Amino acid sequence: MAAIGVHLGCTCACVAVYKDGRADVVANDAGDRVTPAVVGYLENEVIVGLAAKQTRVRNATNTVVKVKQILGRSCDDPHAQKHISESKCSVIEKGGKLRYEIDTGDIVKLVSPEDVAKLIFSKMKETAQSALGSDVNDVVITVPFDFGDNQKKALGDAAAAAGFNILRMVHEPSAALLAYGIGQDSPTGKSNVLVYKLGGTSLCVTMIEVNSGIYRVLATKTYDDIGGLCFTEALAQYLASEFQRSYKQDISGNARAMMKLMNSADVAKHSLSTLGSANCFVDSLYDGIDFDCSVSRARFELICSSLFNQCIDPIKILLEQVGVKATDVNQVVLCGGSARMPKLQQLIRDLFPDVELLSSIPPDEVIPIGAAIEAGILLGKENPSMELDTITIECTASDILVKEADESGAETFSILLPSGTPLPARRQHTLQAPGTYTSVCLELYESVRKSSTPENSKFAQIVLKDLQKKDNGVHDIVTVLTMKRDGSLHVTCTEKDTGRSEMITIEDSS
Amino acid sequence: MLLEARPELSTAVLRPLGAASLLCQVEPVGRWFEAFIKRRNRNVSASFQELEDEKETSEESEDEEFQIEEFALLKTLDPKDWKNQDHYAVLGLKNLRYKATQKQIKAAHKAMVLKHHPDKRKAAGEQIVEGDNDYFTCITKAYEILSDPVKRRAFNSIDPTFDNSVPSKSEAKDNFFEVFSPVFERNNRWSNKKNVPKLGNMSTSIEDVDGFYSFWYNFDSWREFSYLDEEEKEKAECRDERRWIEKQNRAARAQRKKEEMNRIRTLVDNAYSSDPRIKKFKEEEKARKEAEKKAKADARRKEQEEKEKQRLAELEAVRLAKEKEDEEARQQALVLKKEKEIQKKAIKKERQRLRTTCKNWNYFSENEADSVKMMEEIEKLCDRLELTSLQSLNETLSGTSKEASKSAVEKQIAEVNLQIKREKEQEEARMRQSTKGAEQSSSGGGGSSKSWSEDDLQLLIKAVNLFPAGTNARWEVIANYMNLHSVSGIKRTAKDVINKAKSLQKLDPQQKDDINKKAFDKFKKEHKVVAQAVDNAVPSERFEAPGADLSTPWTTEEQKLLEQALKTYPVNTPERWEKIADAVPGRSKKDCMKRYKELVEMVKAKKAAQEQVLNTTKAKK
Repeated sequence: MAAIGVHLGCTCACVAVYKDGRADVVANDAGDRVTPAVVGYLENEVIVGLAAKQTRVRNATNTVVKVKQILGRSCDDPHAQKHISESKCSVIEKGGKLRYEIDTGDIVKLVSPEDVAKLIFSKMKETAQSALGSDVNDVVITVPFDFGDNQKKALGDAAAAAGFNILRMVHEPSAALLAYGIGQDSPTGKSNVLVYKLGGTSLCVTMIEVNSGIYRVLATKTYDDIGGLCFTEALAQYLASEFQRSYKQDISGNARAMMKLMNSADVAKHSLSTLGSANCFVDSLYDGIDFDCSVSRARFELICSSLFNQCIDPIKILLEQVGVKATDVNQVVLCGGSARMPKLQQLIRDLFPDVELLSSIPPDEVIPIGAAIEAGILLGKENPSMELDTITIECTASDILVKEADESGAETFSILLPSGTPLPARRQHTLQAPGTYTSVCLELYESVRKSSTPENSKFAQIVLKDLQKKDNGVHDIVTVLTMKRDGSLHVTCTEKDTGRSEMITIEDSS
Repeated sequence: MLLEARPELSTAVLRPLGAASLLCQVEPVGRWFEAFIKRRNRNVSASFQELEDEKETSEESEDEEFQIEEFALLKTLDPKDWKNQDHYAVLGLKNLRYKATQKQIKAAHKAMVLKHHPDKRKAAGEQIVEGDNDYFTCITKAYEILSDPVKRRAFNSIDPTFDNSVPSKSEAKDNFFEVFSPVFERNNRWSNKKNVPKLGNMSTSIEDVDGFYSFWYNFDSWREFSYLDEEEKEKAECRDERRWIEKQNRAARAQRKKEEMNRIRTLVDNAYSSDPRIKKFKEEEKARKEAEKKAKADARRKEQEEKEKQRLAELEAVRLAKEKEDEEARQQALVLKKEKEIQKKAIKKERQRLRTTCKNWNYFSENEADSVKMMEEIEKLCDRLELTSLQSLNETLSGTSKEASKSAVEKQIAEVNLQIKREKEQEEARMRQSTKGAEQSSSGGGGSSKSWSEDDLQLLIKAVNLFPAGTNARWEVIANYMNLHSVSGIKRTAKDVINKAKSLQKLDPQQKDDINKKAFDKFKKEHKVVAQAVDNAVPSERFEAPGADLSTPWTTEEQKLLEQALKTYPVNTPERWEKIADAVPGRSKKDCMKRYKELVEMVKAKKAAQEQVLNTTKAKK
């Protein structure tokens, strides 16, 4: 059994397959693991991927890029407006829907964004099937967190038109978490994970709380004005100024030369992620002049220093919004191709000095791998189709704490049942009391935040009496907390040696 | 480390939890999520699960109780004829049949094996038939069939105890429910879908009854007839044979399935047509519709009556108003008439006065002639002058001397004459204007610099019809023809001709039609004449001096008559032209001959023009 995970981004698409218990990205027919999400319309054929990206220099008006930006959007959507104004390929409104106007000689075709997406999906399907050697159609598709119903539907329709059987659509940040298997090993415990995704045209930071293996998005923020392309553009601008300096020719007005330069800058940027310096070479860039320039990584980082700051600020804003300190974040997941940049990783590391930065999987492959893993999980499930939006579950609203004393005698609180745990929940703890005691008292508190534990938040106490004295030992008290879906809490305490037990039931206030 | 309890404390709940649970939106990913959802769904249906569990346990307890009914004829069964045996009966499950669970079948088989296995019987000292001929084979076969769900279904499908009969309509006349209920109960076991709707009773709602019949009309049966296959695929020796067998079997199965579907269909049809509820519903529906119709008709009639009433009232009102108006108008007319009469009288009086005054002064003249002229002028004055001016004139006349009054009268006369003259001029001007306009309109639409006279237009139309579309270099030919024949002497190019022809086409359809008709008539006439002329061409024919009377043109009527005459009196007729002239009333012999000559000329010219164009085009090539 095998399944596919597909991530369609604004600039690139990537497919991963799940087979034999593991998920891996598969390379396309050109040998690239990531396929540019570019569709070019020629006179009598349609090309997808790298070839389309390269022919774009000559065929800009009939090449569709960043189709995801207007997929499923209406004409008056500001995002769509922005895309229309930027797109080299003319976009017109027909019957309330947006269409690309493709003029390949004889007739002017009107191509819907769904059709373009369908072509990309078909390409991804081809890639996956050639790697698997079998006809597999079950797929999990990732969508950005800010996608609305219309956009999801359009994406789903495009995938279905390409012949996919959509098992589910998952949000990109969740897929990223799943790729690293966060919270999947043990169903207990709670952690905060920051997902940092810097894609081609957008930046998305998301804070996810993982509790009992279930992910909950605390906050997310998407910035559409920054992305990998901004870096490429900055580099291209720099290269253009270099060209002007050496040859006294201004090429910034020449769209074709700039596009060539952009492609070259893109390649240079990629190699700068791994190498100290990159060579940028364009044959016959302008007026028959060949251009050759070497850019060092330091130079690149200097050019883009303001962009880097722009990329880091959203993290701080998000942390403030959630009210989580940098130290409370347990893990940071990097995804999106632009998160490869060493400088960026360094900056994030500086921001979270003690936090584990997950980047072992190539950042641009994290999301499709997560999608493939999800597809693997869903595979063979009888009825996996579920409405994505309506998954709401009951969770505990506050932490349940017990008051303890440390060695020095100071009062401490330890969490028995963390907030945000999906209900029904059952937690078992073995608490200890000094063997010299004959009676033990468990004072139960509740608190929304760990930081403050006012005295009046105590809601119950359990007293175990007549315990046998143990001079050199401890009393092991097994405490089981069970909370039902209606919010009623049941606590049972049992002293291990004597079997003496006490139990209470606390009803929900409502 | 936990704290020690103070002695006064005891286990207690101090207060309920504040907002213990809240709803969170979670991401639908990961295996724990799946597990959670599964668990939650389980919880939801816990009661159902329990019920199912209970059922299972009760079945198990039944297992121990259920009775295996020994098949009396078991030992007489022929193992070779296993296909026709009742497998349920063989295993002792005659009562349970298709309701038997797998567990029960297994248990029954076990019991039978324990009892009938050859080894057991041998031990009991029974005689055993060697090999497959022992009846135990039947038990094995029965178990083989019933333990395999597919084979068991195939056997169930042709269950020999199943009653396939369908009650007829007449059977169910009085006790519909008693007759059909068990039949449907019996047949619903073939349904692929669970929860087969029940037939119900007289008080079942129409929705349920509809649901019942739509279910049965779309009955989805799992019944199949592979068990009855006559040939066994396994027996075939080669692939071809196997294929043939398969084909045969498939055809047989399809046939049986069709019959089965027909059976169900007939059953449902019978039930539907004899269902008293359906009848009732239909009647109710009919009654309801009729009531509705009646209500509608009533409403319509009422509305119409209302309308009629309103209309009558309106008519009455209008009539009254009109009467009133008429009355007023009459009154007014009367008043006006009176006034007019008064005025008329006054004017008459004034005129009389003027006349008498003038007469008194002997028309301001000495001699007779002058006085007559003056009299005329005075009469004119009387006619033309208004009441007021007449009055004033009379005033002046009565108050002054003869000379003064003469001058006054003369002045008045001069004024009147001037006025008359002006009017006349105006009239003339208007006349001129209109004639000019007519001219303009007749030559209008030309647009070209060269003006087109009426004759030219006629000529053009003729030429256009003469050289129909498709003629080689048509417009040049036409232009040439025009140049040759035109009286105006204006040289026209093909372009001019095209423009004019186009503008003519644009004329209003009526006019165009007329022109066309006329032109076509002419064309036809000429054509015929031409043909005639060619036939009758007698070069020696002599004409009397031409050019006598050009003024009267030939009408179509006359032309027709001429043609007719030319035909009736061939060339060698004695006194031909006299006879022709007789045949055309109003035309002399001379006229006829002239006309004939003209026509011949025309034909010749036309030919010449055509040839010329042909030559030029040839030369160009």
